[in-house]
Amino acid sequence: MKTLALAVVLAATAADSGARAEEPMNDLEIAHAAYTAGGLDIRYAHLALAVSENDAVRDFAQTMIRDHSAVNEAAGALVTELNVTPQDNALSQALVEGAAAKRAKLMTLDGAAFDCAYANNELGYHQLVNKTVAESFIPAVTVAPLKALLEDALVTFRAHEKHAAQMVAGLRCAD
Amino acid sequence: MAGAPRTVRAHDRAHEVEVRIAHFAFDPTWIEILVGDSVIWINNDLAPHTATAKDAAWDTGSIDRGDTRRITFEAPGEHPYFCAFHPHMKGSILVRSRSEG
Ligand SMILES: [Cu+2]
Repeated sequence: MKTLALAVVLAATAADSGARAEEPMNDLEIAHAAYTAGGLDIRYAHLALAVSENDAVRDFAQTMIRDHSAVNEAAGALVTELNVTPQDNALSQALVEGAAAKRAKLMTLDGAAFDCAYANNELGYHQLVNKTVAESFIPAVTVAPLKALLEDALVTFRAHEKHAAQMVAGLRCAD
Repeated sequence: MAGAPRTVRAHDRAHEVEVRIAHFAFDPTWIEILVGDSVIWINNDLAPHTATAKDAAWDTGSIDRGDTRRITFEAPGEHPYFCAFHPHMKGSILVRSRSEG
């Protein structure tokens, strides 16, 4: 339910910013939002490593840090190569705000309650980000190497989504 | 056949077989080699991967994007492996002894 609420907020934000500007996000905004989304998942993972004692959850969190760091390093290298600066935007801000609220809630939990909340959030977060990358970012982006990077990143994020679904199933959360 | 020059079969020398890692899968998933042959894993994904024996007998360690790791197999038999970072990624290597031809 919380994930769904975030999804609605993000969808509304994305639609709003599109409607206001009467054009889709530009390449530099898309790069910023994609980089931000990866960074936020790394922060969730650090929280999980601080709180969780479940091996499956900890392994997943470590993989999120490793993979999202690799993707964001590649993004950073591309941005340097292209000599551009990603632009902050409404979607990036909504992602940051949504994640801050979610982290605050997660921090009140521990044990199985934390593990289930983290796992469900990871599944929902990757579903949402993947839908956005596939349906909004990749079709809209105009610079070929950035499109290629997003396509590569999507492969990684989709593997995470599957992995998250397995983690949720393995935890047998009542939810 | 005595006295004739010895025929050098392809498998008299150790071979290297490439396994590409792309889209979170080992390609090919299943390979067959002879004792003394090597397998080289090449990671084409953004994410780091490993090739790790299910029985922990061998492990490439982390392979970053664009990197390769090689392992030489001296033990005949089936060697199932997976990626330690993404355990749903699975592969297997069948190592035949050279006497089997
Ligand atoms: Cu892997």
